[in-house]
Amino acid sequence: MSVETAGRAGVSRFSAGALVRQPLVIALVLIVALLALGEMLSPGFASPQQILRLLIVAALLGIVAAGQNLVILGGREGIDLSVGGVVSLSAILAGNVMNGSDAGILPAILACLAVGALFGTFNGIGVTLLRIPPLVMTLGMLGVLQGLLVVIRQGVPSGRAAPALAEFVTRPFLLGLPGIIWLWLLIGVAMAFLLRRTVFGYRVYAIGSNEQAAMLAGVPVRLIRILLFTLSGAFAALAGLCLIGYAGTSFANVGELYMLPSIIAVVLGGTPLSGGKGGYTGTMAGAVLLVILQSILTTINIDESGRQMIFGLTLLVLMMFYGRGRAMRA
Amino acid sequence: MAHLSIRGARKAYGATIALSRGDFDLKEGEVHVLIGSNGSGKSTLCKIVAGSVRPDAGEVLINGKPVSIDGPRAARGLGIATFYQELSLAAHRTVAENIGLPELPAKGGIFVDRDRLKAVAERYISRFADVAGKGFSADTRVEHLREDQRQLVEIMKTLATEAPILIFDEPTSSLDRSQVERFFDVLRELKAQGRGIVFISHRMDEIFAIGDRVTVIRDGETVATSLISQTDPSAIIRQMVGEQGELAAADGAPPAAAAESSETVLAVTGLGGRGFANVSFEVGRGEIVGFGGLHGQGQSAVLRSIFGVSPASQGTIRLKGEERTIRSPREAIRNGLAYVSGDRGRDGVVHGRPILENVTPIHFLRNKLSVVRPGSLRERAAKPLSALKTRFAGYDQPVNALSGGNQQKIVIARWLIDRPDVLLLDDPTKGIDLQAKADLFALIRSLAAEGMGIVLYSSEDAELLANADRILVFNGGSVSRELKGADRTRYNLYHAAYEAA
Repeated sequence: MSVETAGRAGVSRFSAGALVRQPLVIALVLIVALLALGEMLSPGFASPQQILRLLIVAALLGIVAAGQNLVILGGREGIDLSVGGVVSLSAILAGNVMNGSDAGILPAILACLAVGALFGTFNGIGVTLLRIPPLVMTLGMLGVLQGLLVVIRQGVPSGRAAPALAEFVTRPFLLGLPGIIWLWLLIGVAMAFLLRRTVFGYRVYAIGSNEQAAMLAGVPVRLIRILLFTLSGAFAALAGLCLIGYAGTSFANVGELYMLPSIIAVVLGGTPLSGGKGGYTGTMAGAVLLVILQSILTTINIDESGRQMIFGLTLLVLMMFYGRGRAMRA
Repeated sequence: MAHLSIRGARKAYGATIALSRGDFDLKEGEVHVLIGSNGSGKSTLCKIVAGSVRPDAGEVLINGKPVSIDGPRAARGLGIATFYQELSLAAHRTVAENIGLPELPAKGGIFVDRDRLKAVAERYISRFADVAGKGFSADTRVEHLREDQRQLVEIMKTLATEAPILIFDEPTSSLDRSQVERFFDVLRELKAQGRGIVFISHRMDEIFAIGDRVTVIRDGETVATSLISQTDPSAIIRQMVGEQGELAAADGAPPAAAAESSETVLAVTGLGGRGFANVSFEVGRGEIVGFGGLHGQGQSAVLRSIFGVSPASQGTIRLKGEERTIRSPREAIRNGLAYVSGDRGRDGVVHGRPILENVTPIHFLRNKLSVVRPGSLRERAAKPLSALKTRFAGYDQPVNALSGGNQQKIVIARWLIDRPDVLLLDDPTKGIDLQAKADLFALIRSLAAEGMGIVLYSSEDAELLANADRILVFNGGSVSRELKGADRTRYNLYHAAYEAA
């Protein structure tokens, strides 16, 4: 009983953290290596402005991945394939509510979060009460959302971002960093607190690691799993809102490009798809890494379809290395 | 036909000797009963014959020739077929397909000959047609069958192999009277054909109804083989118990702390549900009530239903005199109940997570906490962990790094940070080392001395005899006998456990 030296700071730092942190360290090393590679391929790639732009894009992905991370941590094949649909829907919704006026920002935030949370809750209810596997449930939900987007876009103009929102996402706000970076860091701190310092967080790990034991220890398993999906929907909606600030206007299915990368960022960051271990810090690094990779691929003229193929392969390769958390319960 | 004998078979798993000397002889045309208490080595002996376990020493002879059985397929090749207690049926396939599975008739070596398959299946189904009950036919899918019907399918599947040597490991546990009788009729015919049958059952009436000879196995040794016609149930039980049988549980008998006057903390009346019926008992403050009997006679099911895992359909539960309806473990915990399962891997340990996360969930719930303060949690967890003499390096260590015994101590400690009123122990020492067991029972007795009510189900009779103030012996889902005071002897325990329902 001697690990008091670990201090108050880290609940799962010393030993449990070792596994988790290894991928984190790898991700950070890769980030530096990829930046160097990018600079070699195209001078100016690693310039401060360029890095700032990459970070903004990473923040958007990272916010989606926060929800994805929570759902995956909760285990039982937890995954949210509907995030892309929610991002698109939220972007359109925000654009229409704001319609270029700052007064519309608050209503847009409320509307987007509510709608995102609602769709997430539907996912959660389907997965828990109706016992539909998350893969099927959220894929079905993605289909619903895509259909909904087609209906909405017929005749209705897609709207514009409020100037203040665009400024928040793109212009420096504090210490030269735009507001969205600060928002992302805040989310990072909040996620760390949630997972390491709240009973909710402990319970998320418990159900992800051994649902039966958690149930016998009085953990409200279904409620927690529903909440994870609710949060995932809300995070995706928040990202959609920020996305329209970044792009100015929403265009067809902008969110679709987030589904696969959000999962890859989580796995890259050291959370296995089987859940129960890992955390958000790694996921943040994973998001940055992915965005840099994406940018390098663009630099060397690989088009969108090529990038998607490379992302798909990346996920499969990752799974071979540390996606197989199932072996834990030998 | 064939004559099987096993001489001096021995099998150890690591340091544990499962079978030290197994001698067994099966003649043509006999039903040979094998009987022994939990963990006596009976199933190891059986598995050696079935080919799923290889003995470390000893030999297996068929018709006097030594053979080596290298696996289930080799056993089949030698003419041995086994009925396993854990049914091995394909749920989505039909009755006929399951029966034919071991030897699917084929056309040209590729296509299943459906007509012959059906004919073979029909032959066995017809033997049980009038006792199998509604909805049982060759085309029914197994998933739609009742438990007893599934057991019949497994029996038919074993019979359909037409092997000269048949092993039945508890084949009748779910069958009703008429089904058992029909099954025995079939066995008698097989006997007449000269087949050799090994029959394992815990029901004395069945053993005496169908057996020709009986071999008793105790502590890994086959101790006696007798003709059924020359023995009786008491003699068999005496052989199972051995020398220690008549002794009362004198060594380390529990303190008679459970004074008659003390208040009742848990009272269960007429409890009934899946796997048990009409169970009533009371637990007083400071009392250790033992649940005994053979495996799976409803002991775990009762404990789990009291704890709200699968709530009972009948009966009442009173806690400290007040009636409570407990629909989930959450409610049970709020009402001061605690439940420790022996299957810590499935029910207890939160795998790969730090010790701190493993000891805290009950504390969170009982105190309605929402924010974690690791410092104060460590302090609170320290006391129960040290009371259990838990050995660990630090609270951040992943729980899987500990030995089985220490993992179980962590799981138990989570219940003791805030004292429950009643502690339900469901075979809590399964698979943990002797030192951990000793530490655990020392704590359990001191908790009882401090006034906690404890229900202890143990599959190890010695643990029950040494620690329980009273023992309720379960048989077929209900309490068949209560052993108190000087009646708590191994002989009485076995007698009650093996007595026919």
